[in-house]
Amino acid sequence: MLKRNALRRALTYLTVSCAVAAVSLVSPAQAQEKVLKVGYMKNVILEASVDMMDTWAKKNGVKLVRIPMAYSIFQEKVTATLTSGNDQFDVIWHNDDWGQLWAKWMATTDDVKGIDRVAKSPLDAFYREDGKLTVVPAAHTVGTFFYRTDLVKPEEVPTTWQEMVDIGQRLQKEGKVKWGYVGGMAMNSTWFSLWWTMWGNKCDIFMPLWERDNKKLAEAGWKPALTEPCTKEYVEFWWDAMNKWKISPESMTAYTRDEANAIFMAGDAAFTLIDSVHFGDFNNPKKSRIAGNVAMAPQPKGPRGEKPFAWNEIWGWGIPKGVPEDRQKLAKEMLGAMLNDIDGQVKMWNETGGPPPSLDAWARLEKESKDFAMLKHAVFDQNVGTHSAYYFPAWPAVHKAYSDTMIGALKGKREDIPKALEAGMDLIHKAANSGQ
Amino acid sequence: MATDHRSAAGTPGHAAPGGPSAKSAGLASGWWKLDEKTRFSLLLLAPSGIMLILFQIVPILIGANASFRDWSLYDPQRTWVGLQHYLYILTDPNFLYLVLPNTLLLMFCSVSIGLCLGLALAHLLNRHFIGHALVQTVILLPLMVAPVIASMMMRWIFNDQFGVVAAVMDALGFGSIAWLSNRWPSFAIIVFADVWLWTPWFTILLLAGLRSLPKEPYEAAAIDAASKWRVFTHVTLPMMRPIMAVCIVIRSIDCFRTFDQVWVITGGGPARQTEVFSIYAYTEAFVYLNFARGTAAAIVGAVIIGALGWALYKTLNRFMEVSR
Repeated sequence: MLKRNALRRALTYLTVSCAVAAVSLVSPAQAQEKVLKVGYMKNVILEASVDMMDTWAKKNGVKLVRIPMAYSIFQEKVTATLTSGNDQFDVIWHNDDWGQLWAKWMATTDDVKGIDRVAKSPLDAFYREDGKLTVVPAAHTVGTFFYRTDLVKPEEVPTTWQEMVDIGQRLQKEGKVKWGYVGGMAMNSTWFSLWWTMWGNKCDIFMPLWERDNKKLAEAGWKPALTEPCTKEYVEFWWDAMNKWKISPESMTAYTRDEANAIFMAGDAAFTLIDSVHFGDFNNPKKSRIAGNVAMAPQPKGPRGEKPFAWNEIWGWGIPKGVPEDRQKLAKEMLGAMLNDIDGQVKMWNETGGPPPSLDAWARLEKESKDFAMLKHAVFDQNVGTHSAYYFPAWPAVHKAYSDTMIGALKGKREDIPKALEAGMDLIHKAANSGQ
Repeated sequence: MATDHRSAAGTPGHAAPGGPSAKSAGLASGWWKLDEKTRFSLLLLAPSGIMLILFQIVPILIGANASFRDWSLYDPQRTWVGLQHYLYILTDPNFLYLVLPNTLLLMFCSVSIGLCLGLALAHLLNRHFIGHALVQTVILLPLMVAPVIASMMMRWIFNDQFGVVAAVMDALGFGSIAWLSNRWPSFAIIVFADVWLWTPWFTILLLAGLRSLPKEPYEAAAIDAASKWRVFTHVTLPMMRPIMAVCIVIRSIDCFRTFDQVWVITGGGPARQTEVFSIYAYTEAFVYLNFARGTAAAIVGAVIIGALGWALYKTLNRFMEVSR
């Protein structure tokens, strides 16, 4: 009995002491300091954008906590955080790929200062059903065709797929490169081979082609465009590129953007297509053997293409709805400051190659930067005819099903391509309806 | 102590028997009936028990509950749908004819090759030779490498442009092989990575087993002038069967849920050709964001491996009984 009472007393004293200590240690600091937590994918452009936020935070007595995460787990982790309603992050990296997935969990951003000075079309993915915006742009991500200036003169840059094959083969024969073209093709790198040629051949994933209105797509029954001649043409182009003309490695079906970039930066390929944000890496002598010899050009067209295709999307920042009102207000102030920090955005472009979010920064860069003018010509002045994704919840499932169908078709015999595409119709249709 | 409790429970103001207070009083009574040593042991076990309940049992129960509901990660409705997700999985041709065969094949290849190599290495390390400690350390190194890192290493080793293997093949005049873009070569790399990672585990356990074997049967075999191979097949192997059985069962269950190696090396590709059970469950839950279907897949997998583990254990146990 005595032992029990002693034990109880000891435990009570211990609990009370711990509680007192915790309150006395934590409370004063928390009361004085305002903290904003930013969750994002670890990437130089996003770091540069957070740097701008940090400049504002330091001036305004706010402590900015950076929470970088790997791309491979970012969407899953943040989705789980948002749906659980907790306020683990005050600001999160937002991407058009999951713009609609998260729309209902995000606070509106129409009232952020400077939001009227950004390009409008890349925002399409981020509107809620009530027409309110849920993003603040951080940088533009645009698929950009890169070529080697030490191998190809500007006037020789290919404007069609056939020219790309011819020049690639010539350079291979001359022993100047191992490969004509290299780009990611495995899941989540689909844009850098299959999809740019798909859109460049006036083709698309669903019918009607280049439509992004979900109501119209639903009315059409989410019908995949796999059996359209334009699809067969571009799949056959890649089959030939890897197996017949051999301008691309056979293993490219398994390459992610990392492997493709490594080959290009090692000087083993003449052309690639990747987000413009890699321009900085390509020209970094510490990372790349081709530094100083890389330029951008419009994408080569397919047989059906009339004008070079380009896509123009954004990376952005969002504020979870679960964040308390006072911190939401503070986060909006911070994002507004970032959006109006033109010097910071110019610095971001110069240091990382990330196209800035504000049109005011664009106007300045057009005059000051030769590289930005080159990017503008290669991408923004071309046919930005549609978005590089579909904006509905089943998009990840559609992307996976499409990727599996295409890789399956490319690993088979050339004459079996139509059969493989036909087989993929049901798979992609089902994937599209999985989230409806 | 017990008397003390009874007197407290019987005092006015305490709840009637059968009420919550009476139950907790009963528990407390049971607790103080235990001897001091048992109470102390239970207290020591309590932290790990609580952790187990919080981080294993509760999530499994939540997952099991989710698998019967409409529960997507981006819009969790949580409406009851019964066995809908289980029916989807059990009728999905990809799960039945691709994922399950791949998983079982990986399990069979990895466990059998790992066991054979582990046994060979354990024999090697059971002898004394110069540099024994160094060899032992080198052999055990893979155990210290995280599977994700080892898998990334394998992906680059077998890269057709920069990989060591490609360079050797090129030097030998075979040209580069598109290892990762074809089904069986990429599956072989997954098996290779898994074997490389887990052979040291087999080695350690089997070496411990070898060192604990009695000397008498070996002395008897030596008197009979038995060859080394006959000693191995007729003396060592029969005596090692119990430990080998344990190794096979534990490793098979573990191999069934292999994720890291497959995800990093092939991501289940090309075109799902190397997809295994854990990738299937992960893809459903975190790529398609269908948490319910993902957990249903995980539970189906747990039932399969539970049944398989039990059958394996029974078979090996019977085999051991017969061999005795």
